[in-house]
Amino acid sequence: MALLEVKNLTVEFGSEDKPFRAVDSVSYSVDRGEVLGIVGESGSGKSVSSLAVMGLIDFPGRVTADALTFDGQDLLTMPAKRRRQITGKDIAMIFQDPMSALNPCFTVEAQIMEALKVHEGGNKKQRRERTLDLLNQVGIPDPKSRMTAYPHQLSGGMSQRIVIAMAIACNPRLLIADEPTTALDVTIQAQIIDLLLKLQEDSDMGLLLITHDLALVSEAANRIQVMYAGQLFESGPADSIFAAPRHPYTQALLEALPERSEGHDRLRTIPGVVPGQYDRPAGCLLAPRCRYANENCVKARPEVSDFNGRDVRCFYPLNDQGQPTGMATGETV
Amino acid sequence: MTENTTPSAAPASNVAQEVVEPVGAPPSPLRETWAYFKTNRGAFTGLIVIGFILFLALTAHWIAPFDPIAQDRTAFLKPPIWMEGADPRYILGTDAVGRDILSRLIHGAQLSVSIGVAVVILSMIAGIVLGMVAGYFRGWIEVAVMRLMDIMLSLPSLIMALAIVAILGPGLENAMLAIAIVQLPHYVRLTRASVVSELNKEYVIASQIAGAGHVRQMFVNILPNCMAPLIVQGTLGISSAILDAAALGFLGLGAQPPLPEWGTMLSEAREFVGSAWWVITFPGLCILVTVLAFNLMGDGLRDALDPKMKR
Amino acid sequence: MSFLDAKPGVPLLESDDLVRHYDVNRGIGKPGATVKALDGVSFALETQKTLAVVGESGCGKSTLGRQLTLIEKPTSGALKLNGTEVGDLTDKEAKQFRRTVQMIFQNPYGSLNPRKKVGQILAEPVLLNMDSLGRKEREERVRATMAKVGLRPEFYQRYPHMFSGGQRQRIAIARALILEPKVIVADEPVSALDVSVQAQVLNLMMDLQEEMNVAYVFISHDLSVVRHIADDVMVMYLGRVAEKGPTEEIFAKPLHPYTRALLASAPKIDPTQRVKTEPLTGELPSPINPPSGCAFHKRCPFATEECAKVRPELRNFEGREVACHRVEEIA
Repeated sequence: MALLEVKNLTVEFGSEDKPFRAVDSVSYSVDRGEVLGIVGESGSGKSVSSLAVMGLIDFPGRVTADALTFDGQDLLTMPAKRRRQITGKDIAMIFQDPMSALNPCFTVEAQIMEALKVHEGGNKKQRRERTLDLLNQVGIPDPKSRMTAYPHQLSGGMSQRIVIAMAIACNPRLLIADEPTTALDVTIQAQIIDLLLKLQEDSDMGLLLITHDLALVSEAANRIQVMYAGQLFESGPADSIFAAPRHPYTQALLEALPERSEGHDRLRTIPGVVPGQYDRPAGCLLAPRCRYANENCVKARPEVSDFNGRDVRCFYPLNDQGQPTGMATGETV
Repeated sequence: MTENTTPSAAPASNVAQEVVEPVGAPPSPLRETWAYFKTNRGAFTGLIVIGFILFLALTAHWIAPFDPIAQDRTAFLKPPIWMEGADPRYILGTDAVGRDILSRLIHGAQLSVSIGVAVVILSMIAGIVLGMVAGYFRGWIEVAVMRLMDIMLSLPSLIMALAIVAILGPGLENAMLAIAIVQLPHYVRLTRASVVSELNKEYVIASQIAGAGHVRQMFVNILPNCMAPLIVQGTLGISSAILDAAALGFLGLGAQPPLPEWGTMLSEAREFVGSAWWVITFPGLCILVTVLAFNLMGDGLRDALDPKMKR
Repeated sequence: MSFLDAKPGVPLLESDDLVRHYDVNRGIGKPGATVKALDGVSFALETQKTLAVVGESGCGKSTLGRQLTLIEKPTSGALKLNGTEVGDLTDKEAKQFRRTVQMIFQNPYGSLNPRKKVGQILAEPVLLNMDSLGRKEREERVRATMAKVGLRPEFYQRYPHMFSGGQRQRIAIARALILEPKVIVADEPVSALDVSVQAQVLNLMMDLQEEMNVAYVFISHDLSVVRHIADDVMVMYLGRVAEKGPTEEIFAKPLHPYTRALLASAPKIDPTQRVKTEPLTGELPSPINPPSGCAFHKRCPFATEECAKVRPELRNFEGREVACHRVEEIA
């Protein structure tokens, strides 16, 4: 049984009669000791879906799901208090901006000890030792002196380490990392990702890594989900999904990367922009930007289906040669 | 690129791909602000009341039943019509020299609203210029301007207004000037704070690279982005100007009798508090309702204009 | 004006030992400190070429951009356009300079005035720098430039908030281009954009370079983007140049240990390109209090005692310039 099981999760904002679906029936699961990467552009709903799992979607948003279970317990129907216990202790989350995730008024020590106090208890001395332990674990040099530091005295990388220390303080079984390195420099990013993967491996945690960086997710994750405009477009194992993309969107994303280009050739672009709240197309959400789209794609929305062991939301998934299948010849525009 | 998905595409230029136009654009900021403002009931009520007062002020000449300074020697201190011994011609009664209170209140609206608006305009223009210069140039100019404002803020506002009027001499114009000076620091500080935060934005640097001079930077590029908090402060400023003008009028230093200014009316009616309550109650109520309306609207505007309060 | 005319054999834009220090006030009772944001940077940019300035936050790459566009005055050193120094310019010369060097900013949300329509934003440089043009000609020029960057004519009357990040960056590019400059300083122009949009903007910039003969100073932290767009790369660390040379050579064989670490730290999609090295330890040192000797020695796996004491100067090695004592040994 998977640690986190999400089935047809939908998050809607706006009025009842004209809702905006930020997340549209997304399903995934994360196992113990597994790294699931969710990758997508801005507006793809990748962050909103994880906030929904954490129960952090506030009033105007509506969350529905066929199943949202953690370790077999239904998160949607359980009392709010019980859910808060789980989402603080067993599921932890770290955010993009470490500077705003820490309270500027309190020292590092006070903030970590506060997290420990709520969920673990123990006396002050034990908590202080555990804090020191945690700071060592996340690789903070000279942790004793950093205990009494205030967040503004720390660099971005150091702050993100503190945030990670707070997140793992209660030995969570699932860690959700939402763009954990976007605000950091490349060399620091490498350090933080290494740290996250090491912690995940050591404690057999599940790790949900949300990012816009294809290269990062391909290096770090075991399985990858590609999201677009609130929908799941493709999911599969990390080593094959980018080697042989089945969805035209995944293929186009990869071709748009500068590192895939030769010399000073022009990059292959995806025309247009991600549809926003006011301009979602009626058919497949990618249809206006897809190079293979035909009339069928403009009219009807494809469902997620299995294609060669990969979940793909496309009428004409791509074969190994990167050509659409199941399309009558000469039908492409 | 699929041509059929953008049927309305203009002929593509030789260089770049056509950008697909967003089908439904998000609502304009003005409309969005209005939508938020409408949901705030207090603010909306305030707006309606202000509209009504403005209507009274503008049409005072035609709708007031009597001349506000005409005295009727046959009707001194007549009570409102629902009381015994009332004169049916005077709906809210008359004062000690036989003037119709309703007519005086309607004309008073004209005075109060113009005092409020004039004071705020005066104070805002001076405040924006001072605050803009202080925030834009920084250095010793900023220190000089801001310390002066701090000194002004450390005096009780009414005492300072009294002192200024005492120097300039009593009268409505001088009272307005005094109130404008008293209100000045609020606008200066607000403008300076917004200017300092806008100054770091890249669009200001971009205009600088484009060659914009100081005056253009200050008043064409930066100022429009600082207006939201100033509009809110201005709305709230109208109410405090009305209140201060009433206080000065009450102390005999503002509008001089027989002008039907609400504060002056209160002052004239002091000796009748015990015997004829209506002479003092109605002007007081008018001040209360008007100030409340402006405050409610100002609060609503603040919420509607502040992006942090949204959603 | 002499700096407007290209001279054969003279680079278009040249910086000679450019230094920019900031004095910081650390409060009452403490001595003031100096931040050496830019500490002696020299480079030459040829017509229609792209020089990429690469480094992590605090390395001085944005400060360099501010000096090149004359937003700030360098503390010392010279900036030359077509071989003529542009230190003290008269108003008229400054106007001419601005028509030659323009800038694109990182954040397309902050760099466009939210209270101005697109047409007004684009018209401002023309209004301020091309006095001879009338209202009609100005509008024509704006519309022509909009077409050039792929903005539709009806966007003229719209406000920036109605556009997505990629479209805004097109507006920003149009504003930089409208005076037909010879040099554009682009400060992280695509790092706020999504992958698919980033590709559009990069293509646009390359197309415009060919069509309008502009040279770019491309400031970025993204190595794959730099490799794609740049002819030459200058790697900076803490206000100084660590390595400088042709893009292909640097990516094929990075010489400076910092360049190596940067390349190794960047994640790669293709598993065959991944190099498994230990990530760089430690943090970027503070520019207020930089380490002695080589600024990189505390994080450098090859550091010796000499590195901690003597600051390495930039010197020629295998056709590029490297600031490292031990480059012969580790190459």
